[in-house]
Amino acid sequence: MAMHAGARLAIDEINATPDASVTINPVSIDPAGQLTGYIDGARTLLQDHGLSHVIGCYTSSSRKEVLPLFEKFDALLWYPSHYEGFETSENIVYSGAAPSQHIVPLTRHLLRNFGSRGWMVGSNYIWAWENNRILREAINAAGGSVVGERYFPVGETDLADVVRQIVADRPDFVFTTLIGQSGFVFLNMLCAAAKAAGIDLPREMPAASCSLSEAELPLLGESAAGHLSSSVYFSTIASPENRQFSQLWAARFAHLGQPSADAESAYVAVHLLARAAARAGSGDFEAVREAVRGLTFEAPQGRVTVDADNLHCWMRPRIGRSRSDGTFDILMEHPIAVRPDPYLIWASETEDSQSLDIRMIQ
Amino acid sequence: MSGAMLKNFRGLRALVIMAPDSGRDTLERTLIKLGLEVSISDVPPCLADPPPAFDVVFFDADDGADLGMDSLAMPDLPLIAVIGSEAPSRLARVIRHRAASHILKPVRSSGIFTALLLAMNEHAARARHQQELLALRRRLSGRRVVMKAVVQLITVCGLSEEDAYQWLRREAMERRIPMEDMARHALGEGPEMGPQEKSRIKTGITGGRLDQTDQATVERNE
Repeated sequence: MAMHAGARLAIDEINATPDASVTINPVSIDPAGQLTGYIDGARTLLQDHGLSHVIGCYTSSSRKEVLPLFEKFDALLWYPSHYEGFETSENIVYSGAAPSQHIVPLTRHLLRNFGSRGWMVGSNYIWAWENNRILREAINAAGGSVVGERYFPVGETDLADVVRQIVADRPDFVFTTLIGQSGFVFLNMLCAAAKAAGIDLPREMPAASCSLSEAELPLLGESAAGHLSSSVYFSTIASPENRQFSQLWAARFAHLGQPSADAESAYVAVHLLARAAARAGSGDFEAVREAVRGLTFEAPQGRVTVDADNLHCWMRPRIGRSRSDGTFDILMEHPIAVRPDPYLIWASETEDSQSLDIRMIQ
Repeated sequence: MSGAMLKNFRGLRALVIMAPDSGRDTLERTLIKLGLEVSISDVPPCLADPPPAFDVVFFDADDGADLGMDSLAMPDLPLIAVIGSEAPSRLARVIRHRAASHILKPVRSSGIFTALLLAMNEHAARARHQQELLALRRRLSGRRVVMKAVVQLITVCGLSEEDAYQWLRREAMERRIPMEDMARHALGEGPEMGPQEKSRIKTGITGGRLDQTDQATVERNE
């Protein structure tokens, strides 16, 4: 929903530009989160409508499912979500964060500021497994320990036992990749259990994730505050571009709450598409794909540059701490954009070579 | 026994032996994204002298590009077959070259990292097995000389079998040489030893029991 809204915002912005060489007439399809819906939807868009560009997909499984269709029909998928990496398709432009931009900086932050005894809890799928692998290797390299690691089926809410165990273990931090309802229930239970045990959660045992966003905070109620999140975008970024984006958002989508990383990423994807098409002078698949290489855009999050080789984006990682008002305090941000490294081949997952570039803001 | 999984291939030198087509382009582009240095060749560079150094070789199993490949030109490298035809005559060559993994045509960017990761890890495992095999072979072929030395220590010096064996083992550890070489020394078959070593062999054996020096050596080694 946030992604769709972010894309709409950008499309309207582009179409409202009087001297624009590019206009976008969107066709929308809602696969309702079902994998078959994605396949049917992609086939409809690519085959029946003959489109060359589609903004969409949230989960990796949906992206992997539709990718062969984009290869077959010579079309470009603009994928606006953070994901676990290990893919570089020539049919996808990735405007969300890659692991070098979400889990790697979060890992450094946790190990440096809280300690090296971690508990990992997640929904049982690739996003959790791969992030936990990266964190686990970094913890081991730092001589720390993974106190516990548990996975639950997506949607599971019977989490009382694991919460009890975590509070009993008192790790230095809790890393959660639980999604959806499981994530809300978990944070509610963890906050309550920590309070009962006299633990100051944000300071002594913070819950950290790479996915908690402004879209979720209102659903957490009283447990919304004090959690760490790694993201390239927070609604509290102070920049003229973000102020403009927030105003546009508030005017049209205030009912969806604050703008989130997913919304911003979809907004960025559409603007990159429009700029690439303008640069190419055509909406043609191959022309646009070549034109998008190296393209930059002054996004709400700051300058975003498409990597010429892997079609992921150079972006600035940030660590935020959630507030009770549904926004994040930005604790740390990388002063320069970080190379998108989907296979983690350039930055070692554990080395601290970038530590000098990180500055504390608050 | 198994090391950590190899998963970062930055800086590896890849040789791609394929005729020019879009599949080769996809392969090359993807390998570069993975941080490899890529060389392309229509034919195996088997006649180059010395053969250029590579870390991994991709070869087209369909078009006979592997015809010139032999063990001399490709000394012990991980091979990845790019396979279109699944006809047994083609696949037989993939087996003959002992390809460590494969990529199916049409070549897509998905699957290349997996093929590379499997091949590099499979090759590393094979290299470890090869080392173990060599060590076992060496020990096996040395069994006879060790037994001979043990028998001689029993008959000439009056040691028990256990003491004779332990003495050989300890002396070998002390000198940091394989036990088989130590056995040859004891039999007077090995290369000449320094006088000090000779005298150690003599003084180390005193009427069938270990002397104080050797007791200390045992403790140090264990």
